[in-house]
Amino acid sequence: MALDLQRYLGLYVSEAGEHLAAFGRELVRLEQASPGAEQKEIVDTLFRHAHSVKGMSASMQLEGIASLAHRLEDLVAPFRADPARLDPAAVDLLLAASDALQGMVQEAATGLSPAADAALAGRLAEAGRRYRDRAAPPSAPSSPPAGAPAGPAPGDPASTATPVAATLAQPAEAPPSRGRALRRVQVEVEIAGSCPVPAVRGFLVVKKLGALGAVAQSKPSVDELRAGRIPGKKLAVLLDTAETLQAIERALAQISDLAGVVLREAEAERAPAPAPAAAGREAAAEGRRTVRVRTEFLDGFLDTVGELILATARIRELGRALPPAARPPLDEGVDRLHAIVKDLHDKVMRVRMTPLSLVTEQLPRAARDVARRLGKQVEVEIRGAEIELDRAILEELSDPVLHVLRNAVDHGIEAPHLRLLAGKPATGTISVSARRERDRVILDVADDGKGMDPERLRAAAVARGALRAEQAAELPDREALLLACLPGVSTAETVTDVSGRGVGLDAVKRTVEGVGGALEIDSAPGRGSRVTFRLPLTVAVQPVLLVRVGEEVLGVPIAKVHGAAQVTLSRLERSQGTPVIPHDGALVPVHDLARLLGFPGAAGDERAIVIADGGDPGRVGLAVDALLGQHEAVLKPLGEPLDHVPGLSAVTVLGNGRPVFILDVPRLLGS
Amino acid sequence: MAKRVLIVDDAIFMRNMIKDIFSGSGFEVVGEAANGLEAVEKYRDLRPDLTTMDIVMPFKSGIEATREIVKQDGKAVIVMCSALGQESLVMEAIEAGASDFIVKPFKSEDVLSVVKKVLGEA
Repeated sequence: MALDLQRYLGLYVSEAGEHLAAFGRELVRLEQASPGAEQKEIVDTLFRHAHSVKGMSASMQLEGIASLAHRLEDLVAPFRADPARLDPAAVDLLLAASDALQGMVQEAATGLSPAADAALAGRLAEAGRRYRDRAAPPSAPSSPPAGAPAGPAPGDPASTATPVAATLAQPAEAPPSRGRALRRVQVEVEIAGSCPVPAVRGFLVVKKLGALGAVAQSKPSVDELRAGRIPGKKLAVLLDTAETLQAIERALAQISDLAGVVLREAEAERAPAPAPAAAGREAAAEGRRTVRVRTEFLDGFLDTVGELILATARIRELGRALPPAARPPLDEGVDRLHAIVKDLHDKVMRVRMTPLSLVTEQLPRAARDVARRLGKQVEVEIRGAEIELDRAILEELSDPVLHVLRNAVDHGIEAPHLRLLAGKPATGTISVSARRERDRVILDVADDGKGMDPERLRAAAVARGALRAEQAAELPDREALLLACLPGVSTAETVTDVSGRGVGLDAVKRTVEGVGGALEIDSAPGRGSRVTFRLPLTVAVQPVLLVRVGEEVLGVPIAKVHGAAQVTLSRLERSQGTPVIPHDGALVPVHDLARLLGFPGAAGDERAIVIADGGDPGRVGLAVDALLGQHEAVLKPLGEPLDHVPGLSAVTVLGNGRPVFILDVPRLLGS
Repeated sequence: MAKRVLIVDDAIFMRNMIKDIFSGSGFEVVGEAANGLEAVEKYRDLRPDLTTMDIVMPFKSGIEATREIVKQDGKAVIVMCSALGQESLVMEAIEAGASDFIVKPFKSEDVLSVVKKVLGEA
């Protein structure tokens, strides 16, 4: 039965990706950690992450990834003993390697089995050698000794987690004594050629024999087995035991990968049992019980709850048609149902709440990368990362916050010598802090750099033609600073590829406003800048009813929908030429939505009618091709020139990426 | 009667893979654990016939968990799942009481044959 590895690919990609992302974050933390216990702990964590990626990739038979991850592990290994030796060049190499691995994992997600970049692998191996040799005694200089192995030997002390006891531990159960004299048995074993780790197999054999008696001698010795040496894959053990030969044979039959077993009685001898070895270390911590859920499921929950709300409303509607005597019990039932569904809705919304750390954890690494490229020194402080926001908002924020941070490093923080001249510490600080204010989350990204000059921004805006000089002069400083958000306005001296082209802040502002938030900038020359994101806790989400008109999908806010019906157009009664439909004791005029919107006419006689609030004319029926169901729409404002189209109030994007316009029915009718 | 198995690995997809190997081969997967701490707890609750144990895991390693489980139950059958290059760790695990080991990438036939042998059923 061959394993179909494809089934595990999705999980492998996400888990391996997480390990690699964590690797990158820990590495940045390491550079700023205090030497000693804290650094050691981080290096151990780094090792563990690299190791996990290696093991996972090997299981998925992704050889290229496994081998590069192995090199990564090898490079981290020398630093476990002495983390202080880690220099920025090594960190750069490790970061480059983890990035390359991330890329390879993404390729694997598409079904490929990427090969490791030979040049990178070579650099990692060489660097690993270099750092290992630096640890060698002073007599060995920087160049590696001739004949050094390309990779670590299996028993390389640098890759061992803890010092191992010199003798075998006493087995948990004492060997049964039958009152017989101990006799010596010679056990000869050959390890099967197919076994990938014959020395470990040999070690296991010795251990199991040790449970049946006392091992007087073993060739190769236990220490040699530990070092990975088992010449000819043959093992010979002299065992002093009270067990019968059959018992020993039975025990050996339970061990796999043995090609040949020979048992012989030898000279009997009494031997003392080996002393029990001390137990190992404790690595206790609290385990957290969490569950992984795919984000599509969360969106699915919300959709289903939305359907429940709609279905509950329909039942309530139907109840109105019942005779008055039957209504109270039904109303009570529906009220209860509605309360439960609302509770469910609240719970689902809470599940969507995600801590800001999702966005902030990528920041230290990003700042480091930009700073290194520009020869600046920056430290990022993060506070309030545990504050939670709706996942949808958080996902929109990731790029904008990253951009603002990069801006701060690029344009805000000055070069170290300039900072010193200005009486500031050479290392700039960017502080990212979040706090809750009633129904908002305030996220600040502040730097202690050179600040922005409202005057220069005014001049740049006027030069670009965005404002006339008089208008610019009248702007208060606070609003002048926001001019930085106009597309094309950039007062950077040199346009770096990081964030100088001036297209960034306007996109940031639009994105923030798109989720219902606001952007503020506060700054003064010489005193640094602060960009403030004011964000709603949950997204401006409006339940809409999706309808199909020809090829288009449109949305009508549920709040404005009073009912729906299925009709045959030609069968409807007419009032002054307009088809009407009875609803709630009145006759409601029916308009063809396609015609109202100016879409190419289409459709058959069988239509769905949405009865909506038409503003002044009262209720109207909109004839569409089909009702597609309810959708929790994250509303985004329309930009130029769509915001001039009467009848469209906003746009939302469906899970499948399709944009859907939301209708403003009164304005549509009025046009 | 199917033998009861506890699967311990911090990677979900590994646990799924191993679960699939055991299903329908005369084994019943009765539990899973994602780290050494959970492994010891689950072992105590479930008393499986066989445990597959990853070595490097957060909070508590597979070696530590093996040690504790064997201390509770001297007859525990624990098979370590390791990657190549972890030989010294596997040996440590053997010293801590592991009954056998398998090396990734593993073929399902190999896993089943090791497991059947170590349970004395070959």
